Amino acid sequence: MAIKKFAFVVKSLPYKTEASRLALTHAIASQTVEIYLEDGENVEPVVAFIGDGVLNCLKNQKSMNTYGVTSNEQHLKNSLLLDLRVLICKEDIDKFGISEDALIMDAEDIGGETRARVVPFSEIMQEMDSASHLLFF
Amino acid sequence: MKLGVLVSDFRNMDDTLSKLRADTLGIILVSNGVYHAKMKEGGKPSSVLEKSPHLYALSEDLQTRGFADTDIDGRVKAITYNDLVDMIFNEYEKVIWI
Amino acid sequence: MGKLTLGVFSSLVGSLSMDFAVKLSEAAVKKGHKVDFWVSGNGTMLSKKAQRAFKDYSALEKKLQELFATGNFQATACEACAEARGYRKEDTMEGWQRHSMDWYLASCFSADKVLHIGGD
Repeated sequence: MAIKKFAFVVKSLPYKTEASRLALTHAIASQTVEIYLEDGENVEPVVAFIGDGVLNCLKNQKSMNTYGVTSNEQHLKNSLLLDLRVLICKEDIDKFGISEDALIMDAEDIGGETRARVVPFSEIMQEMDSASHLLFF
Repeated sequence: MKLGVLVSDFRNMDDTLSKLRADTLGIILVSNGVYHAKMKEGGKPSSVLEKSPHLYALSEDLQTRGFADTDIDGRVKAITYNDLVDMIFNEYEKVIWI
Repeated sequence: MGKLTLGVFSSLVGSLSMDFAVKLSEAAVKKGHKVDFWVSGNGTMLSKKAQRAFKDYSALEKKLQELFATGNFQATACEACAEARGYRKEDTMEGWQRHSMDWYLASCFSADKVLHIGGD
């Protein structure tokens, strides 16, 4: 198979642990994986936020001001800038009463064109089903 | 999809497990997840044991916590690391750790 | 026989999840499989040399050296995560490689199975 899809599924909350940040940085690493692979081979990442993990997608994260670390918001925007597919579980944002306005849905302010999508979990499950490998964070 | 789920914790596993859909869902209790195989709360066994008929618990992690392989819920099969390797390679298309 | 890629982000000593991953690697290698072992985040602690083996603490350096000796096990640490924690190249245990995160994705690409342990 020339292109393999990896699903990076994020259910961890941000900041107390680095798990969700590492999910994003590892997904972004797909941009350079080609150097290790044969011609025509590549990794197609999809990042999905589920459960508590959807809280990684809230706007206005100030971790750079408070802790001097790049926010997950910025990492998420970088992912969108690089045209990674980002899915956010609808049932979980509904559970928390979060509207799309409160979520990081695009990276337009840094020139990105790809938007995140709020989708039912069933769609995330389909992505997991069709992925070659699953990485849960 | 045949999905093997290594359940490594005793708390907060229900949310993810309830969502997952697979043709075959194997629940493999490891680390603190083995408590699901043994402990009852309010007299009731763990609800994790209702999520699939394919239930396993890592024997070494049971023993680490003071439980014998024979001492666990009858629905759960105790397995070794060797068994787990075989399950990963032969029985499940994908495996995840939660 | 196949290849298992393990990605382990759990802390050394502070969490037995790392020990689980090493024991699983041992079992897989003994059965004739190859194992690629990637550590990132706090997991990079495992790549540090001169770990002292006390009875009260899990000690994995010897097991790792035995695994390296089989020729069917390779271990790689995330260079950025290691450096962020003050682990320099000269602090790295013999046998370990250090690369960027794309190495892990490449390893997953060629793996038959991937098990990712994403945190403590």
